[in-house]
Amino acid sequence: MRKIFLAVLLIGFIAYAGINFSENLTPYVSIAEATASNKNVQVKGLLDKNFEPQQSGGEFLFNLRDEFTGETLSVKYSGIKPDRFDAAYHVIAIGKYNSAEEIFHAQKLLVKCPSKYEGQQAQ
Amino acid sequence: MTGQTPTILLGGALTSTATLAWMFFKNEQAEMRHLKILTLVSMAIIAAISLWLWFLIFTDDFTTYYVAQYSSRDLPAMYKISVFWAGQAGSLLFWLLIHAMIGSILAYHNAPMKAMGVYFSVQCLLNFLVVLNSPFWENPIAQDDGFGLNPLLQDPWMAIHPPLVFAGYAILAVPLSLSLGNLLESSSKKWLEPARKWTLIASVLLGAGIFIGGYWAYKVLGWGGYWAWDPVENSSLVPWLVSVVLLHLIILSKKKSAVLPMAHIAAVFTYSLVIYGTFLTRSGVLGEFSVHSFASSKISLAIALVNAIIFLGGLLIILIKAKDFPRGRMYENFKDPAYATLLGMLMLVFIAIVVWLGMSAPLILQFFGKAAAVSPTFYEAVTKPLALIMAAIMIYIFVKVGWQISFGGKIAHLGVLAGVAAMIISAQGETVDRIFMNNIEVDVFGHKFTYNGQIFETDSCRKFYVFNVDGQEVRALTKLRENGDDAAREPAILRNFTGDIYIAPNPNSFRPQELILDKGRFQMDGEIGYTFKSVEVKHVDDKYLESITAEIEVTDGVTTENVQLLINFRREGAISYPVEFLNGKRRIRLIGVSDDRLKLRLEILPTLEEISQLPIIATISTKPFIWVLWLSAAAVCAGTLAAVKK
Repeated sequence: MRKIFLAVLLIGFIAYAGINFSENLTPYVSIAEATASNKNVQVKGLLDKNFEPQQSGGEFLFNLRDEFTGETLSVKYSGIKPDRFDAAYHVIAIGKYNSAEEIFHAQKLLVKCPSKYEGQQAQ
Repeated sequence: MTGQTPTILLGGALTSTATLAWMFFKNEQAEMRHLKILTLVSMAIIAAISLWLWFLIFTDDFTTYYVAQYSSRDLPAMYKISVFWAGQAGSLLFWLLIHAMIGSILAYHNAPMKAMGVYFSVQCLLNFLVVLNSPFWENPIAQDDGFGLNPLLQDPWMAIHPPLVFAGYAILAVPLSLSLGNLLESSSKKWLEPARKWTLIASVLLGAGIFIGGYWAYKVLGWGGYWAWDPVENSSLVPWLVSVVLLHLIILSKKKSAVLPMAHIAAVFTYSLVIYGTFLTRSGVLGEFSVHSFASSKISLAIALVNAIIFLGGLLIILIKAKDFPRGRMYENFKDPAYATLLGMLMLVFIAIVVWLGMSAPLILQFFGKAAAVSPTFYEAVTKPLALIMAAIMIYIFVKVGWQISFGGKIAHLGVLAGVAAMIISAQGETVDRIFMNNIEVDVFGHKFTYNGQIFETDSCRKFYVFNVDGQEVRALTKLRENGDDAAREPAILRNFTGDIYIAPNPNSFRPQELILDKGRFQMDGEIGYTFKSVEVKHVDDKYLESITAEIEVTDGVTTENVQLLINFRREGAISYPVEFLNGKRRIRLIGVSDDRLKLRLEILPTLEEISQLPIIATISTKPFIWVLWLSAAAVCAGTLAAVKK
């Protein structure tokens, strides 16, 4: 009886962990895939220099551009512009695409800089 | 010169270690005296190599690639010490150094021969990794100054965090060696007491390293609080959790022989997970999943190989010796404290599995087509119930047989209980973003906040955002780069009995205005007149840009000044130094020069005075009773350390 109880508890826990695992899985996708998906994803792109990033209150807006196809994606990050954002060459946005607003809502941003000491490049 | 001698010495160390491993396995007791001396020789070679690296760091030898990457001339001495372990190659050498030192201690404490054989075999593998990835490689380019240590890491806490973690990693090889050595020699319980002590020492060091890392992550911005479930954090958490399991199984094994096989398995798993964590954070596979920037490494395959040798080799020895293990019951009945302890350890194993799965997800899922990571919500949702069950079990054991637990054990366990409670309570705080105008009071969460602007230190290396909360002044530090940009930011923290008020100011964003000057022509911008006088462009070997120096004359009609503008080029980018003139009236920097050198492009930046008056957005949060968490972490370490001496 006790063994059955323990087995049920164990299976229950594995199921709970499994559901949480798949729910919180954020696949790594392209911009095209991100706009087609209604799940949490992480999308990587270059900063679109044609659009000036804006901070309005607690929201930060910027555009990502696909490195290969050139497609762009408007991203709204609920938070403040991350450190070293301007020096970034790649930005990884983690969140979900809202097709009604045509905006990607990011909860987290990972900023990838070319090196730890990149300065302003002379033109 | 740089690379040759230490590389030969590294080869010498590898040879002596391999000889030692072989001789210990041969088990010639008569030669013990010589073997002890040989362990000292082997350790001395590695110590000499390490001192050599420190010497190169302190003498600013930028012909060594590693030194050029992580050090610089102006780095304070304290951080030059920590340059040693700032990168992968150096941290592996540091690990080897601690491992070799412990090896000599073991030899002089007459550790069993076979255990020493295993220990020095592991040292061979570590030494092999250092040979493959030496910090002594020559710099392919000539450099006058190094790139310096990441400003975020120039922090006293960060100077001691890595050596503690690596010392913990190194010492976890001792229980592994004692366990496997015992199986190879004669299965007995003699290994348990020394293994208990060494596991305690290792888990204190590793635990202290993890806690200090967490405290540092809390008091800087950009790491997402004391624990962000980042792969680099998780990869040290998993071996620590498993080392705690190992410790309890060793203690239980003394009374219940049937637990012995599990203790052996735990010893193998603990050390294998140490190597696995190193592999995961060094392989580059997590590069897109972590705040930490990982460089993919050439030796990741070698680390994977070492991991496989230790893990499979260890399990094989246990399997071969399985028939000799004592039989019996692990616990008498369900009221036996041993049963509750095992159940508690099962919870800890579950937590370790959950974290392991989460951090390995990108690696595992890559094999199934699409790489993916799990968000922190997964870890929090799944580990919280497990931690609560474990806490309940601990309270049960305390009530039942608390008097049997040693003083140190009591402190450590109370620390864990308080820590679990503090983690849950401190997460109940509130967070809000607010705009602050200079000297205007704002009410947030029942506290009165006033922002009093920014203060720049005279050398412009650091600045502070000054806040006043309920009459008390707090400052948020921002370290600045040479070009005036933010390099590393810290929050302002007001510490109270009821918890911390945590203020994270966000950098001002402004669009600098550009100004193009024609050579020799007088131009006005606002009330300031500029004349571009001369420019000098220097090259290295007539090939690469080295620096651009421009001289301009500025005037406000009353005063005239000559201003020197400078861009310095380094391999990883250019630095343009902002210059303030006419008594702080204007601040500019040079950002370009035309090919014919007749036009200069300048950027007009806000003056320091203007910056300090700008309104800012700050994120305000409360962290109820967060100090209990720091206190409980200290209790866990102190208690565990006290338990070493039984």
